[in-house]
Order: sequence, then C-alpha cells, then structure tokens
Amino acid sequence: MAGNEHAAEQLKEKGNAHFRKAEYASAETCYSHAIQKNSKNPLLYTNRANARLKLERWQDVIDDCIKSIELLKENMKAFFYLAQAQMAINHPNEALSSALMAYDLCVKSTTQTNNAATISALVLKCKKAKWEVREKERIRRRGELLGELEEKLEESKKKDLFEIDKRLAGQEMGTVEAEEERKGVEETYNKKVEDLRTAFAISDPEHMAKREVPDYLIDAITFEIMHDPVVTRNGQSYERATLIEHLKRSPTDPLTREVLRIEDLRPNLALKEACTEFLEANSGWIYDW
Amino acid sequence: MLASKRLQKELLKMHAHLPPGIDIVSTDDLKEWLMDIRVLDPNPLYQNEVYRLKFSFSKSYPIEAPEVVFVQDTNRPIPWHPHIYSNGIICLDLLDRQGWSPVHNVESICVSLQSMLTGNTKKERPPGDDNFVKYNTQRPRDINFLFHDNSV
Repeated sequence: MAGNEHAAEQLKEKGNAHFRKAEYASAETCYSHAIQKNSKNPLLYTNRANARLKLERWQDVIDDCIKSIELLKENMKAFFYLAQAQMAINHPNEALSSALMAYDLCVKSTTQTNNAATISALVLKCKKAKWEVREKERIRRRGELLGELEEKLEESKKKDLFEIDKRLAGQEMGTVEAEEERKGVEETYNKKVEDLRTAFAISDPEHMAKREVPDYLIDAITFEIMHDPVVTRNGQSYERATLIEHLKRSPTDPLTREVLRIEDLRPNLALKEACTEFLEANSGWIYDW
Repeated sequence: MLASKRLQKELLKMHAHLPPGIDIVSTDDLKEWLMDIRVLDPNPLYQNEVYRLKFSFSKSYPIEAPEVVFVQDTNRPIPWHPHIYSNGIICLDLLDRQGWSPVHNVESICVSLQSMLTGNTKKERPPGDDNFVKYNTQRPRDINFLFHDNSV
C-alpha cells in the first residue's frame, strides 16, 4: 500500500511537470495512472480536474470534483473547478452555489485568501449568467403572451367584420354605411394593438431607452455605484475605499473643505442596503455599466 | 483604471448636457482633452472671443487634480487676467494640490474659469509675467502659487 502511495505521488509530480509546460493531455494521463495506484487521495482528483478543465472535458471535470469532495469536504479547489465546468455546460445555478462554497472556504481559510479576488470574480460571472438565463426565459414568455393577445384581438376584429358583411348581405345597411363601420373596426383594432404593444414595452426594462443608476447611489468621486458607502459629518456619502484615498492625501471634506479624518467616517448601512437591492434588481447591465 | 472609467462617465454626461459657453473640442484619448469656453456676460475684455483649455489627466484623477492650461491658437488668444500668465498657465486655487477636491470635474472647472473671467475688470497679467514666462520650466501643478490676492 505504502509503495503504491509513493508511486502515485511520483506520477502526480510527473503530471504537475507536464501541466506547467501546458501539456494537459499528458498531465491528465499521469494523474489517471496515479489514481489507479491510490484512489483515496483527493488532490489527485482535483489535479486531474484542472487538467481536464484545460482540455474542456467538462463532464469529466464534474465527476473528478465530486469524487474529490467525497474524499475531502472542505475542498476549495474542487468547488472552484466544479463551478467553472458547470458554467461551461450552462448550468449557472449549480455553478453559483459551487462558486459560493469555494468563496466561503477561501475566506475562512487562512492560507488561501489570495484567491478571494479570483473566486469572487467567478461568483459575479455566475450571477450574471444566472440572470441572463432568467432574462432570456422571461423575454421568450413575454413574446408568447403578446402574440396570443394579438391573435385574440385579430379574431374579434374578424368577427366584427363578418357581422358587418352579414348585415350588408341582409340589406340591414347600405354600402357606404358598411364601409364606414369597417373602417371604424380597423381603426379600433389598430389602436388596441398599438396600446397593447406600448404597455408591454413600458413594463419591460429591456426596452427602456435609458438605464441609469440614480444619483443617490453613485459615489461622487468615482461616479460608480457604491458597495460600501460611508457618510461624512455633513451627511454626504462616498465609497469608502476612494474617500480614504482622498483623505490620505488631504484630510478635508471634499465638499466643505472642513477637516475630516478617517475616524470620523461612519458606514451608511441603509444606503448600502439600497445599493445592494438596486444591483440585485438590475444585475444584467449593471456589471458593464 | 479609476481615471479612465470616471472620464468616460464625465464624457457621457457632458454629451448629454453642457452649460452654455462650454464646448467639447476633442477627447480622443483619456489622457488629454481640449475644451472651448466663452464668457457669456457682456464683459468688454472677453467679447467675441473663444478660449481653448487643455486638460491633462494623471492615472490618479480625480484623486489628483488635472493639469489645466489655456492654449494659444491663431484665433484663440490667452485671456487677460491677473491670475493667468501669458503662456496660458492659470493660478487658481481649485487646480492647486491643496485646493483640489475629487468632487470637482471637467465641467465644474470650466464653469469656475468662466466665472473667474466674468468677474474680472483688469486687463492685466500676473506680476512678474515676463520673467515667469521666460524662465519657468516647472509643470503647472508643481508650481507653488501664492494665493495672497483674493480680490480677483
């Protein structure tokens, strides 16, 4: 057994060497041999998952990650690779929960915090993908509903026109009168369709011409939506990181020029809540704003 | 990163709306912009003239002030003002390291310069203009102007 573990370790090293030289297929083979020698080492599976990620063998990546997580629960790398593969096969919901697991494990761990930025970027990407899927579905459904309603309007128009023809044939009305009635029916129909389409367009944020973040959520220094707003003594709020950058150079309130020290700043929790809510309600475009 | 994102947003805002007498000339990159300003009041010193401003931004804009100077052109003179040297260098507290605040922006600087000209009645250059123009080799932001004269 010990001999096998040693052999597995050597094969892993060989695989790592291939991986560093971007020889992912050879690396994958080495890791597979290593797993044959020792199937109880979770790291062998994550290493192979990473190689398979490069080879774009998504389903195999997922299998390796699940196997690795079975062997080791607090497995940041496995969740991180898993999230990427799930994203690739267009499963953003699963990808997001995997990415969030990876982020939690990363923040909790003392040694791996330098991965936090990379993982939080992946979390953001998953969130955006999730929003896009939802949005696509919503637009498709709206399209169907609108089509159905327009069809109903057309049906009722045809019925009305048919009635007019019938009354004309039964000599209940003259040709001129019938022509006027027909025109009236057409006009009402066109107006109704137009109103319906306008109503749909207005209720659909995708069709709103302007996508703007309200000024009260925007940091007056970076002009971007705030994530962690702090309030100064005169009541104005700024993004913490940028205001501190300014205060380090000049300890003055940007608006009033009164003395302002970093210790004077207070978090603006209600505004932070408002920013978060706005981000959640508008996720799709806000990421590129 | 900070500067380019913020400048792009300033540009969007200015394209949507600009105060009268201020025009964008060129904003080809996010390092240097040219703006034109005119004085709207009937001040005889500045009647029928247009002045061109050159803005240079550092990577740390808006934490750091931009460098702003008037530039001369065949039909764009340097405006007369006791705080504007004949080479276009401007002595204005908000452009100075101490006076700058990151809530200022290109538009607010243009407006400040407009009103600085509007309120002026003296057809003068700062004291020592000749020597300053001849011998100054410093960049505007490195010059320590003395703001002892707040009457203009």
